[in-house]
Amino acid sequence: MDGMETAQFSAVIVVGLLVFFYGGTFLISARIGKKEENADGYMTAGNNIGFGVSAASMTATWIWAASMYASATSGYTYGISGPIHYGLWGALMILFIYPFGKRIRAVAPRAHTLAEVMYARHGRSSQLMLAGSNVVGSLISLMSNFIAGGVLISLLSPFTFIQGVLCVASGVLLYTLWSGFRASVMTDFVQVVAMLGAVAVIVPFIFFAAGFPAAFETGAANLTPQQGNFFSSEAFMGQGAPYIAAVLAYAIGNQTIAQRLFAVRESLIKPTFITATIGYGGMVIGVGMLGVLALYLGFEPSGGDMNNLIPEMAATYLPSALLALFFIMIVGALSSTADSDLAALSSIMMADVYGRGVAGKGRANPKTMLLVGRLTMVVATALAVAFASLQLSILDLLVFVGALWGALVFPVLASFYWEKVTSKAFTTSVLAALAVFLPVRFGWIPVDGVFGYVVDVLAVIGIGVVLGLMVFGFSNLMAAKITGVLAMVVAAPFAIGSLHEYATLCGSLVAYSVSTVICWAMSARRGESFDFSVIAERAGDFDDGDAAAAAPGGTGEALDVPSPRSAGGDVPDGREPEPAAPAK
Amino acid sequence: MTAALTVYVLMWPVVVAATLFVISRGFFREWAEARRNGHDLV
Repeated sequence: MDGMETAQFSAVIVVGLLVFFYGGTFLISARIGKKEENADGYMTAGNNIGFGVSAASMTATWIWAASMYASATSGYTYGISGPIHYGLWGALMILFIYPFGKRIRAVAPRAHTLAEVMYARHGRSSQLMLAGSNVVGSLISLMSNFIAGGVLISLLSPFTFIQGVLCVASGVLLYTLWSGFRASVMTDFVQVVAMLGAVAVIVPFIFFAAGFPAAFETGAANLTPQQGNFFSSEAFMGQGAPYIAAVLAYAIGNQTIAQRLFAVRESLIKPTFITATIGYGGMVIGVGMLGVLALYLGFEPSGGDMNNLIPEMAATYLPSALLALFFIMIVGALSSTADSDLAALSSIMMADVYGRGVAGKGRANPKTMLLVGRLTMVVATALAVAFASLQLSILDLLVFVGALWGALVFPVLASFYWEKVTSKAFTTSVLAALAVFLPVRFGWIPVDGVFGYVVDVLAVIGIGVVLGLMVFGFSNLMAAKITGVLAMVVAAPFAIGSLHEYATLCGSLVAYSVSTVICWAMSARRGESFDFSVIAERAGDFDDGDAAAAAPGGTGEALDVPSPRSAGGDVPDGREPEPAAPAK
Repeated sequence: MTAALTVYVLMWPVVVAATLFVISRGFFREWAEARRNGHDLV
């Protein structure tokens, strides 16, 4: 299969497909656009979105072009279990965050960003850490999606990579700029229909066109024993385990998820997140199966570049009409995530930088906020195009941001349940976790001596923290503690002495464990407590326009959350007694 | 083994199609309700 000729579209057809896709999404955006947009609506659409739109939006946002390429790469590299070890854990990131999401929403029903809530809980430093990591993560994601668009267009058409990047970037900006998050979620529905519909048709078509199921027998020799084993330890350690460790980190650190958490009607959080979990898992694992099929076929992507695998499989086995559908599927996947990134970046700049920082709560001008949001989108698009042209290593950047998010998980989650967590404990624990993560992940200190054992012990504690937090979300503190301790006891004999060989996995786990241990140690003995009910007032609406007033819990209707006994002034002090808000 | 692998590969498009149906049904119900009540969908 090496050196094959892949099908290509003419320039006219590609332009036609792009005009069809971006023209259609722009028309949808124009239809819902308002001359006077509401600043809160621009960020969270009135906190009252229904199930269909929000489930479509969660699914579309979490599926980005890289997730399809990476799932297929995992299938091609690790064999039949590869797509599961990519897609299943990615899907569980959505599932495991919803119980925490319900608590976050109960505490801060009308917030816009998680960083804004952290400001209300702890003050400036925690807000800056979360907002900073969100901005970097969204910019990387934006750049990655533009790169995927550029690669796809250059592979399937006469256009160059840069021309492809510019087409995608301008198309996404065009339909997102005016209505922000509202345009993002509304167009997500159309995009998710295109993506899911395409997978439902394309995967079976390629399966039969490529000669399966007979090829399972003729191509079995192309697989190593590990690749042919559904319970492959190589696949688990190389792909699955680092992803399990990242399950909570990516969900907590990603503003696109937080934004939808604050936008969906509170009673619909659970069905929305469960549906998105199934949709994401089915779609990404399904596309990943193309990598498994390629492995059986002995298919080799040109230049050994795994990013070419999926487009070349499609170009080889699909007729022109389905290849056009495949093209729309990838453009839909990257655009839906890119528009969410733009909406996330704009809401951080609007709420965290301008609203809570420059202007201050109660003094922010909604029109200025909207201007800040739109300018942010333009600047972010320009930056992402510039970075995309440099073709930086996305994976290295993602690993670093992922570790930062891992360090944030326990301090952030504990801050919503435990009244004793302080700003000092939050900041110190995150910085210390990062300080330990860096030498572990990048091998700055040799791990073949005592340091290796220290890393292993910290990583084992990290395993307990990750599993304990997952159980805590769905159960209670006692079950979480038992699970965490059991996990450490079971993992220790296997992990101590060898786990440090897996730098990516260990890096994530030590980030969890160090931040957890320090945050707990600095908070446990404090006698003071925080009144969670003040968060609802500190992180509320900026704009008293129609969208906010129309929504339940908006300025036109009483909030169904504990009323604060004290607003506590503009700067959180964390000195209020324990709350009426439901606690675990 | 071949039959099991065939089911394993082709079950995901079925899962995807079912999810698409659930999401679409929810969307169009909300759309119709919003139109009936004169509200915006988002």
